[in-house]
Amino acid sequence: MAPPVAVSPLIKTARYSALIAGIIYGKRRYDTLKPIAAEERRIEEEEKKIREEQERIAKQLAEASEDTILK
Amino acid sequence: MAQAVQKLVAKVPTLIGAAVTYSKPRLATFWYYARVELVPPSPAEIPKAIEGATNIIKGLQSGRLGQTTVKDALRNGLVATEVLMWFYIGECIGKGGIIGYDV
Repeated sequence: MAPPVAVSPLIKTARYSALIAGIIYGKRRYDTLKPIAAEERRIEEEEKKIREEQERIAKQLAEASEDTILK
Repeated sequence: MAQAVQKLVAKVPTLIGAAVTYSKPRLATFWYYARVELVPPSPAEIPKAIEGATNIIKGLQSGRLGQTTVKDALRNGLVATEVLMWFYIGECIGKGGIIGYDV
C-alpha cells in the first residue's frame, strides 16, 4: 500500500472551512425557504377552496341549465 | 409466507457477519489513510495555510502562475474542485437532505 500523503495545510483548512461554510449556508437557506414555502402552501389552500367553490357553483348552474330529456 | 420471513430472519446474523468480515479490512485501509489525510488542520497549521494562500496571491501578481504546466494546472483544478465539493456536502448536511430543500 502506498504511504498516506501529507496533505498541505492550505488544502486542509480550505476543505474544512468549505465544509463549515456549506453547513452554515445550507442551514440559513433552509430557514429562509421554510416560511416562504409555508406561506405558498397557505395561499394555495385558500385559492383551491375558492376555485372549488366556483367550480361547484358552475357545475350547479350547468346542471340546472342543460335541457335534455335523457335525465 | 411466515416460513419465508422466519428463514430470512434466521439468515440475518450470517449476513451481518459476512458484511462485517467484508468491511473490516476495507475500513482498516480507509482509516489508515484517513487518519493522515482527512484530519482537520491543527491550530498550528493555520498560519501555514494563510502563508500558502498569500504565496498563491503573490504568484498571481508576479505572473509566476502563468508558467504552470498544463499537467500541474489540471491537477490543481481537480484539487480545487474537490474542495468545492466539500462545500456542497456541508450544504447537504445543513439543509438536512441530499436532494433539494425539504420545506
